[in-house]
Amino acid sequence: MTTRSSLTLPALLLTLTVACGLTACSSSSKMPAPPGSSGSAAGADSYQQVIDDAPVAAASDIPAGSLMAKIKARGTLNVGGTDAAALFALKDPVSGKVTGFDAGLADMLAKYIIGKPSTNRVQIDVTTREVLLQNGTVDSVLATYTITPARAQKVGFAGPYYSSGDAILVKSSDTAITKPSDLNGKSVCTETSSTAANDIKQFAPSAKVVLFQTNAECQQAVEQGRTDAYVLDQALLLGDAARDKNVKVVGQPFTDEPYGIGVPLSSPEMKTFVDNWLKLIESDGEWARLWKATIGTELSGDAPTPPVVGSAAGS
Amino acid sequence: MPTAVLSQLGDGLLVTVEMTALAFAGALVLGVLLAICRISPVPPLRLAGAAYVTAFRNIPLLVLLVLFVFGMPEVGLLYPLFATVALTMALYWAAFVCEVVRSGVRTVPRGQIEAARALGLTFTQCLRFVVIPQALRSMVQPLGSVFIGLALGTSLAAAVGVPELTGQAQLVTLKYDNPLTSFALTTAVYVAITLTSGLIAGRIERKVAIKR
Repeated sequence: MTTRSSLTLPALLLTLTVACGLTACSSSSKMPAPPGSSGSAAGADSYQQVIDDAPVAAASDIPAGSLMAKIKARGTLNVGGTDAAALFALKDPVSGKVTGFDAGLADMLAKYIIGKPSTNRVQIDVTTREVLLQNGTVDSVLATYTITPARAQKVGFAGPYYSSGDAILVKSSDTAITKPSDLNGKSVCTETSSTAANDIKQFAPSAKVVLFQTNAECQQAVEQGRTDAYVLDQALLLGDAARDKNVKVVGQPFTDEPYGIGVPLSSPEMKTFVDNWLKLIESDGEWARLWKATIGTELSGDAPTPPVVGSAAGS
Repeated sequence: MPTAVLSQLGDGLLVTVEMTALAFAGALVLGVLLAICRISPVPPLRLAGAAYVTAFRNIPLLVLLVLFVFGMPEVGLLYPLFATVALTMALYWAAFVCEVVRSGVRTVPRGQIEAARALGLTFTQCLRFVVIPQALRSMVQPLGSVFIGLALGTSLAAAVGVPELTGQAQLVTLKYDNPLTSFALTTAVYVAITLTSGLIAGRIERKVAIKR
C-alpha cells in the first residue's frame, strides 16, 4: 500500500504537469498546428480506411482463459498511451480523437481481438508504464515504448513494430552541431519521459541535459536559444522540422530504438498473439498503409520495411 | 541502487534548497512591499496591490512557470532557467506573503492603536511598539505554511527543465528503470523538509505567542 501511494502521487503530478504544460503551450500563437489535428481530408480518410479494413482474429485464435478472451468479453482493450506525440498519438483538440501510428495500431489490435476498434486509453508516462501493466490496469502499452532488456524483466514485449533512432534537432542557422560528439559542452534538451536522456550522456558525456515535458516545449527551447539542441527519435524530430522552418534535423540516427508493444509478463499467450498479429498486418500491407496515413504524411518516400518481430534484445 | 544515484539526488536536493531559499527571500521582500501598498492610505497603491494579488493568486503556478520560461524569450528576455524559475516562484508566492502580512497587521485590535495615540505615541512609535511586534507574532504559522507550499512547489520546476530534486529523480528513473525507489526517496526528502519547517514554525510561534 505504501509503495502504491508513493508512486501514484508523483504519477498524478506528472500527468497534471503534462496536461497543463500542453495547454499552456498550445495557447501560444506561434505554435504550428500539429498534423492529425488539422490534417488534409484525404489523409484523415485513409487513416480511418486503414482501421476499417483491419483484420479480425478467428475465434480459434482466442483460447478460453487467455487475456485476449478476457478483453473480448469486456468489449474494450485497455491501452496505455499518450496523446501528445505528433505522428504517433496526438489528440485532436476539437474532436477529442487520438490519431497517429501508435493510436492506429491500438485501434487495429482492439479490432483484431474484439471485432470493433474499441479502446480505453489510459494516460501513462515513463514512471507508470511497467506498474500499470503489472497490476492489470492496462492490457497493453503502445507509446513509442523502446524495448530494453532491463524493461523486459518486468513486462513482455511484442514486436518490435517500428524502428527509430535518436537524431539531433538544431536551429536552422546552426552549423556547429552536426554529430553527437558536437553536443559536448552544449545544453541539450529532450522529453522528460524519453530514453534519449541516457543516450545524450553516453554519446556526449559533458552535455548539459535539460528535461521538458513535451515535444512542443523542447522545440520552442531550441528556437528561443534556451538550449543548443534537442535530441529525440528521428521520426518525431522530422515531424517538427517539417512544420517549422526555423529548425532542422542534422545527421543520421545514432542509436537504435526498437519500439515494442508492452504486454503483461504474466500473460505470455498475449505476447505470442500480438506478435502473430503484427506479422499478419505487416505481410498483408496494413502496416505500410497505416505508416503512409500517419508518419508518411510528414516523411517523403515509401513506407520502410518493418523490423523483424523478435529481433530486438528483450522482445 | 548505486551511490551515483544518491549523489545525483543530492545535487537535485541542493538545487531545491537553493531555489526555496532564494524564492522565499524574494517573496518576503516583495510581499511586505505589496502589503504596505494594500494597507496604505493612497487609493492607487491599494488598487495596484489588490490587482497584483488577485492576478498572481488565481493563476496556477505551473501555468505561470510555462508562461515565463517560454514567454519571456519571445520578448527578448532570455535568462538562465534557474533564475527565471526562481523569479517566477518569488513573484507568485509574494502574493500569498502579502496577504499573510496584511492579515497579521489586521489582527492588532484598532482600540490598541487608538489607545497608543491617546497616550501620545507618534505614528512611528505606535507602529514600532504596538502594531509590528504583535503583527509579526501572528504571522509565524501562516508564513510557515507559505514556506511549505513554496518548498513543495519547487518540484514543478522539473516540468520546465530545472534539474532540482524531482527532475533528478526523473533522470534517475530513466537510467535505472526503478521509479519506486527514486520517488520513495524523493518523497521522504520532501516530507522531511516540510515536517522540519512545520516544527520550526511551531517552536517559534510558541516562543513568541501572546496570550490574549
